[in-house]
Amino acid sequence: MKEKINELKELFSKRKTEAQTKEDIEALRLEFMGKKGHITTLMGDFRNVLGEQKREIGMMINSLKQEIEKTIEELKAKNEQKEMDKRLENDKKIDYTLPVEDGVGALNPRTILQKQIVDLFVSMGFTIEDGNEIETEYNNFDSVNVPATHPARDMQDTFWLDNGEVLKTQTSAAQNRILREHGPKCRVLFPGRCFRNEAVDATHENTFFQIEGVVVDENVSVSNLIYFMEEMLKGVLKKDVKVRLRPGFFPFTEPSFELDATCPLCAGKGCGACSHTGWLELCPCGMIHPNVLKEAGIDPEKYNGFAFGLGFDRLVMIKTGLDDIRHLNSENVKLLKQYGTKI
Amino acid sequence: MNISINWIKEFVDLDGIETSELIRRFNLATAEIEGYEEKGKNTYGIVFGKIIKVANHPESQKLHVLSVDIKSKVLQIVCSAPNVREGMVTCVATVGGCVNGKKIAPVTMVGVESQGMCCSAFELGIGADDEGIMDIKEEVPIGADIKSVLPIDDVVFEIDNKTLTNRPDLWGHYGLAREFAVIFERKLKPIDTVDLSKFDGLKKLHINVSTPGCYRYGGLSVDNVTVKKSPLWMAIRLYYTGMRDINLLADLTNYVMLEIGQPMHAFDHEKVKGIEVLEAKKGDKLLTLEGEEHEIPEGSVVIADEKKVPVAIAGIKGGLKDSIGEDTTSVLFESATFDAVKIRKTSRAIGLITDSSQRYEKSLDPEMTPVAMGRLLKLLKDIDKNIVVTSAFTDCYKKKYDLPVITISEDFISSRIGIKVEQKYIVKILSALGFKVDVNGKDIVVHVPSFRATKDVSMKEDLVEEVARIYGYDNITPKPLAFEPKPTTLNKAIAEEYEVKKLLATKYNAVEIHSHIWNMQDFNEAHGIDSKSVVRLLDSSLAGQSGIRSELLPTMLKVVYENRNQLSDIRVFEVGHVAPSLDENNLVKEEKRLAVVFASQKATSEALFEELKKFIVDYAKHDLAIDIVLKEGDKPSFMHPYNTFRVTSREGDYGYIGVVHPRTATSIDKRLNMVALEVDFGLLSSKEGYFKKARVPSKYQTVNLDVSVLVPKAMKYGELDQILNKYRSKIMNGYGLKEIYENITLGSNKSITISYELCGKDHTLEGKEIDEFLNGLIAHLAKNKLSIRK
Repeated sequence: MKEKINELKELFSKRKTEAQTKEDIEALRLEFMGKKGHITTLMGDFRNVLGEQKREIGMMINSLKQEIEKTIEELKAKNEQKEMDKRLENDKKIDYTLPVEDGVGALNPRTILQKQIVDLFVSMGFTIEDGNEIETEYNNFDSVNVPATHPARDMQDTFWLDNGEVLKTQTSAAQNRILREHGPKCRVLFPGRCFRNEAVDATHENTFFQIEGVVVDENVSVSNLIYFMEEMLKGVLKKDVKVRLRPGFFPFTEPSFELDATCPLCAGKGCGACSHTGWLELCPCGMIHPNVLKEAGIDPEKYNGFAFGLGFDRLVMIKTGLDDIRHLNSENVKLLKQYGTKI
Repeated sequence: MNISINWIKEFVDLDGIETSELIRRFNLATAEIEGYEEKGKNTYGIVFGKIIKVANHPESQKLHVLSVDIKSKVLQIVCSAPNVREGMVTCVATVGGCVNGKKIAPVTMVGVESQGMCCSAFELGIGADDEGIMDIKEEVPIGADIKSVLPIDDVVFEIDNKTLTNRPDLWGHYGLAREFAVIFERKLKPIDTVDLSKFDGLKKLHINVSTPGCYRYGGLSVDNVTVKKSPLWMAIRLYYTGMRDINLLADLTNYVMLEIGQPMHAFDHEKVKGIEVLEAKKGDKLLTLEGEEHEIPEGSVVIADEKKVPVAIAGIKGGLKDSIGEDTTSVLFESATFDAVKIRKTSRAIGLITDSSQRYEKSLDPEMTPVAMGRLLKLLKDIDKNIVVTSAFTDCYKKKYDLPVITISEDFISSRIGIKVEQKYIVKILSALGFKVDVNGKDIVVHVPSFRATKDVSMKEDLVEEVARIYGYDNITPKPLAFEPKPTTLNKAIAEEYEVKKLLATKYNAVEIHSHIWNMQDFNEAHGIDSKSVVRLLDSSLAGQSGIRSELLPTMLKVVYENRNQLSDIRVFEVGHVAPSLDENNLVKEEKRLAVVFASQKATSEALFEELKKFIVDYAKHDLAIDIVLKEGDKPSFMHPYNTFRVTSREGDYGYIGVVHPRTATSIDKRLNMVALEVDFGLLSSKEGYFKKARVPSKYQTVNLDVSVLVPKAMKYGELDQILNKYRSKIMNGYGLKEIYENITLGSNKSITISYELCGKDHTLEGKEIDEFLNGLIAHLAKNKLSIRK
């Protein structure tokens, strides 16, 4: 009996190396484990074993049976793996280098930058206001202290309409309404499109965008303005810039300033963009003129504040590297498409 | 405006201060210096020489061989200038010298050696004359370096005129010198003038001012003028500051203008006996000094002679007829102030902007007119000893400015600037700037001088600026604003504008356009687009585009047109403002619209329409929680009459969506299928519905039941939907359109397959329940005269 078991053991060792395919393995299983298989036969013979040997032989048969079962499972697994490998190998290979179809459209770069700036100002506690493009003469001029005789009111500088209104020449046209609505303690930002009756070239458009902000409170000082502008421009330009003020002149503010920031492109060392001065003229600003506050129903003895304009199109050009402002109003879809949705 | 630093230094000692520092501080405190030029830097080794012999060149007809005495020796110089003559004094560049960067070495010219070069004013960079070598008539030391006599070395600053707009006092060297004096804490010297009161006893001139456009007119006459040409130093200075010498009298008026900012004029007193300042009548004309005839706009201020014949356009330009000529010996000088706005309007109307008109536009100080006259006389007397003043300074002073008195305090100034500025310091700065300052306890009482009172300084805030800019903006320590925590939210109109743009760009592949606000009339007419403007530009250089657009879509169609040969698939949009109507006060009722066009050579109109419809429905649903419903209704004539629909919701009507009218579409490009949408985006984005609460789906198995309903071909899905909507069941989760099928076998009907989703809330559905549902539905359809297709 023992001999028989050992023979079977050897036979299985031999057979298992011959089993290559799924079918071979099944045949092997049937040969040993099937109803008429060697093990079943062996089990039949086992019934005739008597006495002391019974325990030992039983254990031998069991051990052989387990070994065969285990080996067959292993063979099966190995074979499945082999077949899977073969399948994977034969699967159609993807050419991962194929170009992706560029389906995405594009936003005007102004839209992208305006969103960034608007988000920044919201984080600084500003309310954002929308405005009109057509304004009354009062809103555009009188309410912001532009005298009746000011050259800006001339036909050659302003687009006057035949109903007496104007295409707004500056975002300040919204100041009066905004100050009235928000009252004496406010921080408001208002982007908008403006128009000037002038010849169009690479650096001048008759249609351009500005972003204007006002801060009104008690005891606002020039030193507050400098601090604010520096922090704000750091956020807008995403660079550690410094600012400086120079005297400026605008009817809406007194004193008025031209504000320069260290050139973000060369970090103030001087480059083509800043005419090698290291400074970029970026924001006209100033302390809001008492007449403007008065006109909006705010007591200039009690409250004051500052206003600033961002030369927004200029910023867009710096950010995108555009050298012609007219591209921002372009009808050329192929050109515009290159901007994508981020700058 | 060009500024000579030598000239400035006549009034203030700036020794020991680097040019770069002068520019830096002036830029920060006063106005912008855009650049500077160092004059004379590359010109040296030039001496005065006298031509003692002129000989013909043996080989050349054009050249002469000169013997030029430069005191130490006589040089042989070959010269091509046509104006050479014996006895002439000129400027000689000697060997080793340099003429405007060009080194002088001995050369042989057509076989004759030349030991230097005789120079023209232009070559030396000190004048515009390049017709011949310098012909010096005044007394100069032969052999001396020309720089020892003439002010050739100078630094010329270019100041940005725009930054001087509100500072009439800075339109001359003297006013600028005052700024430098204050900035660098140096002393300002007075202007050297002749005291005009000593002529008070002389006869008065006939001067009559009959227009409020003239604030002050001062005249004075001088006889026996013998010197014709300006001295070289004056000619050089005029040239450096952007003018050129003409004759002594004209040059003097220019010189005084550049020096103290007051324009002057000189008339030939033989021709102009007296002055009438009046307003131009219709048809008045003047032939100006340059020989151009200008029609003077009616109402402009003109200077006329005693017979009321115009002799000058006030403050802008003199007439040719009565100007100073070669033989003028008797002259009438004008020093006057005119209304700034009148001068500007006339100057723009006739298209003549002059050095004089630019200054008058800034509102000049009338107190400067006698100063200018006194200064001119002083200069004239120094140059021409023989002149005789023949009249009193005749002064018609019609309008005086009020001189404001402003009271400020240390506290006020300090709080506005944001740093402590002491009273003593405030007084010092303002006094140096020419303000008269009285201190009364805490009060600082400031009297504004006339030269700052015409429009510039009138209130406390103006004095904040004066103190702050001289103190130095760069010396102010930045301070944060007091923080007040207050929540802010992004304005919905702006937030939604960004959302809709981003959606169109990222999901619908569309490109955002920023187009102009004009109505593109020519384009519209060419392509059958009837789009009228309710407002127009009054005056515009934009030919054919004088209307303001009342709708947005035509501009988008124009963009399609412009790109038709570049792209076969064009998707563009804009959120832009339009002027569609006027209100009862005749003011524009502006709207912010969204317009989108999808145009494609490949996709059908139906497919494009479905996509565009999906966009607007999805946007409204997901961003605003409102349900868009398309309805029949008004549409513009350039849209398809049957395939264009109103975009509405329960909350309002926003605009339309549809296929572009084939007439317009074909005209733009016959290959393109085009669909478009225009909605009042301001209105749409202001709406907001309720976002539905989520419900937990049943965990039991879902059954999808497809039911094909036979309906008449003409029936719209929406009509069926209204019927289906009324059939309710507890086991129904919802239904949707699966397919629409048309086939001849169906006759006049079509089949619409609806897919129902059925599910039990607390159990798995049994077949019986599904049958009940279906039977109920069939009965409901039958009530509505519909049946299902088996």
